[in-house]
Amino acid sequence: MEKSLFRFIWKFSARQQVYILLITVLSYPVSYVLLELPKLIVNDAVQGDGFPREIGGFEFDQVSYLFLLCMTFLGLVVLSNGLKLYINVYKGRLGERMLRRLRFELFQRVLRFRLPHFRKVSSGEIIPMITSEVEDVGGFIGEAFALPAYQGGMLIVQLGFIFMQDPLLGLAAISSYPIQGYVIPKLQKKVILLSRQRVKNVRLIADKVGESISGVPEIHANDASAWHSADISDRLYQNFKIRYEIFNRKYFIKFLNNFMNQLTPFFFYLIGGYLVIEGNLSIGALLAVIAAYKDLAGPWKELLAYYQLVADVDVKYQTVVENFDPADIYPVERLISDEKVELQGDLVLSNVTFSGGAAGQEVYDISMTVPEGTDCIVVGPDGSGRSEVLQLAAGLVSPSSGRVDIGGQNLENLTASTLGREIAYVGGAVHIWSGTIRENLFYGLRHRPLVTVERKGESLHDYKRRLLEAKETRNPTYDISAVWDDFEAAGVANVEELDTRALDLLKSVGLEPDVYRLGLQSRLDPALNDRFAERILAVRAALGERIKGDPRLEGLVELWDKNKFNSSASIAENLFFAVPNDASFTLDQVPELPEVRAFLSETGLDERLQEAGLKVAETMLELFANVSEDSGLLNTYSFLTREELPEFDRILRISKSAAQKSTLTQADKDRLISLALKVVPARHRLGIMTDEVQERIIAARHNFHDKVVAESDLFLPIDPDVYLPPLSVEDNLLFGRPRVDRRDARQRIDAVIRAMVEENHLREPIVYAGFEYHVGVSGSRLSAGQRRRLALVRALLKNAKVTILDDIGTGMSDEDVALRATLREIVKGRTLLFGAPSHGPSSEFSMKITLDQGRIVQSGDQGA
Amino acid sequence: MSLETEVEVLRKVPLFRGIDATKLRLLAFISDRIAFKTGERLCSQGEEGDSAFIILAGSASVLVNTPDGERPVAQVKENAIVGEIAILCDVPRTASIVATTDMDVLTVSKDDFLKLLKEFPEMSLEVMRTLALRLERTTRDLAAARTGPAA
Repeated sequence: MEKSLFRFIWKFSARQQVYILLITVLSYPVSYVLLELPKLIVNDAVQGDGFPREIGGFEFDQVSYLFLLCMTFLGLVVLSNGLKLYINVYKGRLGERMLRRLRFELFQRVLRFRLPHFRKVSSGEIIPMITSEVEDVGGFIGEAFALPAYQGGMLIVQLGFIFMQDPLLGLAAISSYPIQGYVIPKLQKKVILLSRQRVKNVRLIADKVGESISGVPEIHANDASAWHSADISDRLYQNFKIRYEIFNRKYFIKFLNNFMNQLTPFFFYLIGGYLVIEGNLSIGALLAVIAAYKDLAGPWKELLAYYQLVADVDVKYQTVVENFDPADIYPVERLISDEKVELQGDLVLSNVTFSGGAAGQEVYDISMTVPEGTDCIVVGPDGSGRSEVLQLAAGLVSPSSGRVDIGGQNLENLTASTLGREIAYVGGAVHIWSGTIRENLFYGLRHRPLVTVERKGESLHDYKRRLLEAKETRNPTYDISAVWDDFEAAGVANVEELDTRALDLLKSVGLEPDVYRLGLQSRLDPALNDRFAERILAVRAALGERIKGDPRLEGLVELWDKNKFNSSASIAENLFFAVPNDASFTLDQVPELPEVRAFLSETGLDERLQEAGLKVAETMLELFANVSEDSGLLNTYSFLTREELPEFDRILRISKSAAQKSTLTQADKDRLISLALKVVPARHRLGIMTDEVQERIIAARHNFHDKVVAESDLFLPIDPDVYLPPLSVEDNLLFGRPRVDRRDARQRIDAVIRAMVEENHLREPIVYAGFEYHVGVSGSRLSAGQRRRLALVRALLKNAKVTILDDIGTGMSDEDVALRATLREIVKGRTLLFGAPSHGPSSEFSMKITLDQGRIVQSGDQGA
Repeated sequence: MSLETEVEVLRKVPLFRGIDATKLRLLAFISDRIAFKTGERLCSQGEEGDSAFIILAGSASVLVNTPDGERPVAQVKENAIVGEIAILCDVPRTASIVATTDMDVLTVSKDDFLKLLKEFPEMSLEVMRTLALRLERTTRDLAAARTGPAA
């Protein structure tokens, strides 16, 4: 990578830089004329004489001459500002493109680092380098060459003018330059050093913050927050000190510069005055020189600011780039090549030595041959070199001496396109990507975009532009929205078959029940698969029939009935009998919708609900006013939090006094209504749901459906024939509520639902719905075991020639033994390397290699 | 079917007799009201008890395991409290309770009851007084039983 910022800029934008310079130089005469013209207008057109004037064969009297000059002035104003706008946009675009190119280059280099390199760098440091640290570089690139050339040119012209007036005065004008030229870089050098320190310190802070976030349970578990606070506080102080130093120096440079600039006129007055008195210089010339010197200050200041900016940006660039240039970085070819070599044949390690940089991470002189199609177990405790041997065999790390071949191909010379497709590797620490289970399952098949998206009109235009920009900035032109799943590699023909294959594998590794449960709880968009929604509705109907037909079940569930009050559901559900279409919108927020508010006030229900809300609030205050905070009763049972109690106390007091009642605000009323809506009559037994109120609610429910639900798409009605996407699959299956006044109603009815799902062959589609489950950041919503199994399925889906598993299912429990048997069955006929920390499972494999302290201590065919 | 009726019943329970109405309302509110159909079990002998049952409506029979199977030893009906020992100390259920009609029961969980006691110490005093009275009576009965045959 280019070590210097200027080399980087020149190498990739020389043409554009020259263009910018050209436009800048072109704009100079325009602005010069623009400055001169007003003088001409005043002196010549307004106060001048000798009219009419002849210009270009036309005669102008004084007024039309004035008009001509003014129009020229106007034209030049437009031209000059237009040029400025154009060149600024051009510079900005160039800067952004170069920035994109730089950032991408940095990211690509991260991908090219060898694995051991990641022991030395942390993401907390790398992220700010690629994101914020290079940001300033982008703003600078457009100015890099044009500014010094332009301002330098101006300076030379002005200086030339002074020298032409009098060489002595010229010397006086530049007399301070040598001093400034000597002192300022010296001071600046110190600033650069400080800037470097500052950047490194900020990186450390970022790293520490990142580490604190990922290790936060440890901090709390060990009460180490004081230590971390002190640590960060100390670094922040370092940062302050460095920045303070930088300020001091920067402003001192400024001070020095201003001082020198104002010192020079002192020489002018002294030397120039002397010359005028002696008669060697005219007073007019002296005044002109002083005026010219004033004009010098502008460019000089700009140049100095530029010099400081360069120093700052260059140091940032260098401190970033030096981290991305390790000597052993992989060639870019390894990453971008799309050439795949078939790895057919024996896996051979010949005299391989490797060191990971720490004790227990090295292997010495390993020679072994695993014939093609053999299942081989590699046994060795942690630190025996087992993981290293497996990573060497997967081509993830390179031997420091010796070679690893598969089918006569040296892995070191192969590209990622072969290694990542022909070898499947699952290590001890798997990574699950944030995204859905589906995305994680098919991750191993996404090597290149395969089927491009059909685009038309606007989107095609947009896509072409995107491609153009990508080419301009040497970014890859892969289309992220294309189909990337490599069906052929997985041995299937289309998405459906791929799903089926994934499902089979999930079953084999025992992850299918988990995904099924996730599927039941997930929300399904029927727009994607309306047949599935239909089937769920069919099961819903059948389930309803079964519940009605079985007295034991009937007592457990209160089914939805549009003409009946459901005591096990909240008043909100009873009243609206609908679900907000937007799943992120809770029923509490519903009364704030203008449609709902209008409906409530029209029907007069708002008053009724407010009264009910008041009664609830009153009871809550009475019951919980004396309960202390730490008893937990308040949080478990009350509708109100401790913070809300005083607020409702106030509302209650206002409402009780007839005089103040009118001062209740709309927000207070909304609170009361939402409080009332939360009540589940069968659970809370507050006595606010008399038969009369229930009847009113049912009447209002019909009204609400006609007026609001049917009119807008804010709500979906609770209807036996309507699938409700905002609810989970499970909630859609049961058209009703488990009764809250029956013991274990939820668990008992769940068992019935699950049985019905099996009977109706709905399990499979629900598992597919589970594919869409979002696994959280790095799979945090899955257990460690689930993550490992998911990674295993991901690897198996690739159908790789060589499968390498490290520390997966190595126990002797029935489950693990069965898993290993299934695994061997799945990869039968292909090479399998299975890493295990102990000899337990070794008898199941046909070949065994035992490692200890980085050396093979036993190796052989077991003939099993 | 509101808190008020439940409070009325709670008031009749000797264990809660001296406790003021607001506390009883709170106790009622945090308890679960559960319906049992004829033949359903409220609890089984030997299992860990974690709640007391206050019968609001219906009746149940108390069964004890014997070598010949379960045998009814008593009937309980409205306003009765059963299993109250379980909310004061950790003992296994000493009998099973089976609903003989459809029942409406208020279940007071041990955790919540103990939380209430911790919250309102005067309530503990009342409970203690009731228990002491009961103990005194039991002692007297025992003494009477001992001296009875001799007299």
